[in-house]
Amino acid sequence: MKTPNKIMLTGNKAAAWGARMAGVEYVPAFPITPQTEIVETLAKWFADGTLQGKFTNMDSEHSMFMAAGSAGATGVRVFTASSSQGILHGLESLYTITGWRVPMVLVNVSRALATPITLEPDHNDVMSTRDCGLIQLHAETCQEVFDFILMGYRVAEEVCLPVLVNMDGFYLSFTREPVLIPDEQEVRSFLPLYTATQPVFQASRPMARASAVFGGATYTSFKLQQELACRNAEGCFNRVAQDFEKHFGRLYGPVETFHLDDAEYVFVMSNSFATKGKSAVQKLRQQGIKAGLLKLRLFRPFPGEAIASALAGHAKVAVIDQNLAPGMGGITYPEIVTSLYAREDRPEKILSVIGGLGGKDMDDQDFMAIIENLDKLDGGSPLYLYDEKDVSGFNRLQQIAELKEAES
Amino acid sequence: MWRIRIHGRGGQGIKTASQIIGSAGFYSGFQAQDFPLYGAERRGAPVIAFTRISKDPVLERGPILSPDIILIGDETLLNDPQSAPLCGAEPSTIIFVNSDRTPESLKHNFTVMAINLTDLCIQYLDNHTVYSSALSAVGARLLGIIELPDLLQAVEDELTGVSSKVMKGNLDLARKIFEVIQPAVVSEKVNKPLIAKQLVFPQHRPVIEAAPIILQPGNMALRKTGNWRVERPEIDYEHCNNCLICYARCPDGVIGVDSDGRPEIDYDHCKGCLICAQECPGHFINTVRETGMFP
Repeated sequence: MKTPNKIMLTGNKAAAWGARMAGVEYVPAFPITPQTEIVETLAKWFADGTLQGKFTNMDSEHSMFMAAGSAGATGVRVFTASSSQGILHGLESLYTITGWRVPMVLVNVSRALATPITLEPDHNDVMSTRDCGLIQLHAETCQEVFDFILMGYRVAEEVCLPVLVNMDGFYLSFTREPVLIPDEQEVRSFLPLYTATQPVFQASRPMARASAVFGGATYTSFKLQQELACRNAEGCFNRVAQDFEKHFGRLYGPVETFHLDDAEYVFVMSNSFATKGKSAVQKLRQQGIKAGLLKLRLFRPFPGEAIASALAGHAKVAVIDQNLAPGMGGITYPEIVTSLYAREDRPEKILSVIGGLGGKDMDDQDFMAIIENLDKLDGGSPLYLYDEKDVSGFNRLQQIAELKEAES
Repeated sequence: MWRIRIHGRGGQGIKTASQIIGSAGFYSGFQAQDFPLYGAERRGAPVIAFTRISKDPVLERGPILSPDIILIGDETLLNDPQSAPLCGAEPSTIIFVNSDRTPESLKHNFTVMAINLTDLCIQYLDNHTVYSSALSAVGARLLGIIELPDLLQAVEDELTGVSSKVMKGNLDLARKIFEVIQPAVVSEKVNKPLIAKQLVFPQHRPVIEAAPIILQPGNMALRKTGNWRVERPEIDYEHCNNCLICYARCPDGVIGVDSDGRPEIDYDHCKGCLICAQECPGHFINTVRETGMFP
């Protein structure tokens, strides 16, 4: 019958459970598909007394992130979640609160950005927060969503920066799979209830944060401190990961390797589609093609050394970006190429691949097409995962949209 | 790995059915994954849900394109091109249809079974539109690897919150179906060598073709929503006095007025909300369950 503590959960529910087991005390919320199930679940738990603290419906993501940051500055454990347009609407607040140096965990459920508007996932939303000084962890499975939230609080509270845990909409947010939920006691021994070590807002203790500065040097000092804090978060993450393994038996490095050791072809992927990549790797190996996969987990701070060490020595690498910076291409591609530049044994070919935009599925044939392209001498970069069927579907829509000459 | 795809309509418990099979598989000691697919929420619109059950970790996500078992909760979807419930079926695929009859054309190509779940649901649940426990019991039994106690536990867990009477009805229904149906032989799929997709480099087009600009208005009529209906409103013209309140109240504007001044329902687009039947002052609009194949 039922395995104790292991239950079928969607990614969204796993996120809500993560917040619950972390003992969050304040959740400002605003709904958006495909994230709403997270805050809905938490609202219910606050209402029925399962969670002690305060749940507040806000009037937008902008005020939601400000409220989250402000609460973080009072020394309580804060959780919030958003997605897509909501993240963009709150982006000003995200830059602001990372500068406040307050801890919290927020979940982004990836959904592609308008225009055209859609509900399905890609990573342009989370990539838009790439430079605001958040720590970013990207989850492939519902278990990772849960685990990263617990780990996220440890990291956030040590380095005093918000941690963003990312998961794909639909492919993870609405997908149920078994998730191990440890006992509260076990969680507490890994993640004790929060006591802030930095000064926090109290009625009895006036103070100011977020002061204005003039003169670039002061600004620079604060920004460089933020940069150092974020860079130091990698070491902190690794320590926390080791402690997490001690408690729960699962070890999370900043990257994950899959059949990488002897791989001649490597797919670099992140989030839930990495599962599809792993399946393709297994099938390719069955037909004698030595493929492997590198999964990005910690994306900010960027673990350049870990990535370069994993990819160096492999002949052909394809970086699959489920995002698009028009006029440039894949957003993670240049970062990965940069990390390898100084290596003498860097791959002979690093191909940029753009796919999975707006939830466009990726299948085994796509991965085989990438392998073929890696073997080509003149294969252009980036490679778009786009085929005749996509073109004809697009043409069909254009025929409906185009002006029919006066039929009268 | 066993891949199950379930077709039905919003409101019929299709997503819940996929979750009951998922949980039952998980309780029986397997790895499991379930996932629904729908856009903005719409009662009556075609809905698809998926369950994967496996001895090994499930290295797949998203829609199931070539299922081992297809469960069709609503036979009216069989001929619906948008729902396309048979898409990706292979000769080895087992197809179950909630129906009194087994369509002849289907029998030629596939292993098909049909049982009238709707009548069973009326008998056990006093409800003919919710198939969650019925369909999941069919799926779990066909797989042949799920034990009855695990199925019943899953029904109980996934239907948490319903009254004890409804729960008992669902458990009895699941038990009954488990008895009636025999496990099918589901053969493991053999991996075929991967073939590279022929990718194309997109051509740069002028903005009029490249941006989401719609120059020809009125294309909503192309989107036929008649197949969302579970029940069909039918105007009793012998008694209708042409007051046209139905015409005024139809939220989708699919009731027109013909040349004789009588209201006329556009069945290509009527979604079956039945507000017209509620609003008709003389109760001259009847509701009829959709059963036959949708044209």
